[in-house]
Amino acid sequence: MQRGPRARMSRRDFLLRSAGTAIALPSMSAILAACSKPGTTSSGGGGGATPTGIPLARPDAPVTLPMVGEPIPSDTPIETNATLKIYNWSDYMWKKVLKEFEDKFHCTIEWTTFNNMSEALQKLSSGQVQSDVFFPTVDVLGKLVTAELLQPLNHDLVPNLPGNMWPDFQNPFYDQGWRYTVPYTIYTTGIGFRNDQVDPAEVADKQYSILWDPKYQGKVGFYDDYREALAMALLKNGITDTNTASQSDIDIAKQDLLKLVQDNNARITINGTYVGIPESNFYVHQAWSGDMIGAQWYMPKGESPNLLSYWYPEDGRGVVGNDTITVPSSAQNPRLAHEFLNFFLDNKYATQNFSWNGYQPPLNSMDPDTLIKDGYVPKSLPEAVVRASDFENGYWLLELDPSVDQTWLSAWDEVKAGA
Amino acid sequence: MPEAEAAVGSRRELEKRRRRAEREARFGAWYPRWYWPSFAAPATIWIAFLFVLPFYVVLSVTFGTVDAIFRNPLPVYQFWWWSGSQFVDTAQRFYGSNAFYQPTLIRTLWYVAVASLLCLVIGYAVAYYVARYGGKRKALFLVLLIAPLWIMYLMRMYAWQSLLTSDGWINDLLMFLHVIGHPVNWLEGKPITVIIGLVYGYIPYMILPIYGQLDRIDKNLLEAGRDLGAGPVRTFVRVTLPLSKQAILAGMIIVTLPMFGDYYTNDLLSGSPKTSMLGNIIDSSVIQPGQGPLAGSLVVLLMVLLLIPMWYYLRSTKRAVEMG
Repeated sequence: MQRGPRARMSRRDFLLRSAGTAIALPSMSAILAACSKPGTTSSGGGGGATPTGIPLARPDAPVTLPMVGEPIPSDTPIETNATLKIYNWSDYMWKKVLKEFEDKFHCTIEWTTFNNMSEALQKLSSGQVQSDVFFPTVDVLGKLVTAELLQPLNHDLVPNLPGNMWPDFQNPFYDQGWRYTVPYTIYTTGIGFRNDQVDPAEVADKQYSILWDPKYQGKVGFYDDYREALAMALLKNGITDTNTASQSDIDIAKQDLLKLVQDNNARITINGTYVGIPESNFYVHQAWSGDMIGAQWYMPKGESPNLLSYWYPEDGRGVVGNDTITVPSSAQNPRLAHEFLNFFLDNKYATQNFSWNGYQPPLNSMDPDTLIKDGYVPKSLPEAVVRASDFENGYWLLELDPSVDQTWLSAWDEVKAGA
Repeated sequence: MPEAEAAVGSRRELEKRRRRAEREARFGAWYPRWYWPSFAAPATIWIAFLFVLPFYVVLSVTFGTVDAIFRNPLPVYQFWWWSGSQFVDTAQRFYGSNAFYQPTLIRTLWYVAVASLLCLVIGYAVAYYVARYGGKRKALFLVLLIAPLWIMYLMRMYAWQSLLTSDGWINDLLMFLHVIGHPVNWLEGKPITVIIGLVYGYIPYMILPIYGQLDRIDKNLLEAGRDLGAGPVRTFVRVTLPLSKQAILAGMIIVTLPMFGDYYTNDLLSGSPKTSMLGNIIDSSVIQPGQGPLAGSLVVLLMVLLLIPMWYYLRSTKRAVEMG
C-alpha cells in the first residue's frame, strides 16, 4: 500500500502561499512607513547649488559651515575609563601612538575601519556605526553638517590647532574658522615609480604621459578612485579644472583612461603604489605622496628604499588634498574626543604617527627640509614631501553637484568595465 | 424546520466521517490536513527569510531611489511606487549605441564557460579515479580534495598571487621543465590567470557530486556492458556517462552560478578592467555614492541570466525523476 502525503499541498498552492507571505511582509513594513514614498532622487542643476543648501566650497569661494548645536563647554570633565570609538581608514594610524593615548588618558580605544568614504557615510548616517572620532574627507563636510552628524568644536579644548599649524592652514576654505574639523594629514597626487626601471628624467619630461608609454606595458597602474583617476587624465590633457562639470572634458579623460587600459594594460588598484612598486609588480603607478613614503617599509629584503621615486609637477600644479578629524554629534565621549584631536596635533605624537604611515601632518615642527635628513623620508623621494607652497597652486578634488558627480561616475563605470 | 436542520447537520457529519475514513484507508492512519504540508515549514521559512525577503529588498533598492544628501540607496518597499528608469538605463548599457557593459557580459560568459568546462573535464577524471580506483584510500582522497576548503578562498587567492609572480614557483617550475623560456607575467591582467583562478577555486564543488554519483553506480551494470561486448571506452560512453549525467548537471550548476557573481578572483589575480566580469562591475557600483539602484539592476539582470541554466537543470532533474 502506498503511504504518504497524497493530500499534500500542490505546487501551485505552495507558490501562491509563499508568494503571499513574501509580499505580505514588506507590505506590512510599507504600511508602517505611513504609506509615504521615501526620499526623492537627487536633484540636478549646477551653479554651486547642492541638496544640502550649503554652497560648494572652493578655494576662491570659502565656506563657513552653519553651526548645528553648540560646542561642549570648556569645563566639561574628561571622561575616565571610557571607551573611545574611532572610525577611520584602515592602516592609517600607528597602534603604538594610540596606545600612548590610552595610557595618558586611562581609556580604551575601539577601532572600526572603513574602505571608502561612501561606505563610511552610509554606516554613519544610518546609525550602524556610532563613534566619538571620525576622519572625513573635505568633500563630504557639507553633507555631514546638513545631516547634523557632526558637532562644532570647542577650540579652547584643542590648543594645538592654532599653535602648531602651518600659517597657510589656519583658516581653510572648506571649513572657515575650523568650526568642525582639524587637519589630519596632507598629500599630493603624482606618479610613483622604481628608478631602476624608469629613468627619473624621462618621468620629468613625459609627466603623466609616462603611464601611457608602451615601454611599460603591463607594469602600470592607477588608483581605484574615480575622482583621482579621472583628474589625472584631465591634467594630462591640460584641463586643470579637476571638479569640472563639462561632459566633453570628462569624456576626454575617460577615453584616455580607456586607452591606458586597452593599449598599455593598466591595472586599477588601491595598494599598487605602496605594495606593488616595491615588489616590482608595477614600475609606474599613480601615487599619493604618503603612499610612496610608506612604500619604503614594503621593500623586499636587500633592496634599498632609494629605488623608489616620486614625481609631482615642479610648479605645484597637481592634485592636493587633506583628510580631517571630526567629532560626530552622537559622540558618547566628546571631551575625550577633543583630547584625541589635540593629541594628534601634538608635534611629538603627530611625528611618530607620520614615521609609521608616511602621511604628513601640516605642522610647523615638521620641517620639510629636514624630513629626509632625519630619516623619515628616503633620499630618493624629496618630491614626496609636501610643502605649504603645494597648496598655493594645487588643485583640490571637492564636492560636486550630484548630477555632475553622476557624470563622473558614469565615465568611471565605463573605464571599470574595460569597454 | 428543526428536523430539516438536524437532517442537514447529520448529512454533513456523515460526509466528514466518510472523508476521514477514506483518508485513513489511503494513508493507513488519519492525519489532519495541515500535517504533511507542515513538514515544508522549515524550508519555507528558510526560503522566505533568506531568499524571498532579501530578494524583495534588492528589488526595492533596484526600483527605489537614493537619498538626496548622502546618495545612499533608499529602498522603496511599496511596489506601486517603484520606478523602472534606472533598470532601463542599466539594461541599455548592455545593448544599443552605448552598450559598454556588453563586452563585460560576453567576457563573463566566455570565462565561465571555459572555466566550467575545465572544472568538468578535470573534476570528472579525478572523481572517476577516486570512485573506481580509490580502494581503501577513498576517504584519504576525499579529505585531500576537501582540504583546500579549510582555508578561506581569499587566502588561497593570495597564495596564488605569490605563486604566480614573475619569480614565483609556477614560473620556476615551467622554466625548469622547459615549457617556457622566460618568466610569464601571469598577474598582469591575463584572462588565462583569471580562468585558472576560477577553476582552482570551484573545482572541489564539481568533483564531490560527480564522485558521489560514480561511487553509487552498480558495478554489475558495467560488467553487463562488458559482457555484451562493449570495450572500456564504449562502456564509459554508453553506461557510466549517462548514469552520471545528473551529477554532471548538478556540478555544473554548483560551479557556474557562483562563478557568474565572482569578483575577488579577478580583483586579486588581475585587477585589469580588460578582464572585468559582471561581479566586478556590481562590486564597483555598490561602493560608489548614488549607484545602489545600478548595482541592484545588475543583480536582477544577472539573476535573470542565471534562471536559464537553473531552469534547464530543474527540467532535466524532473525528467530524470519521472523516468525513474
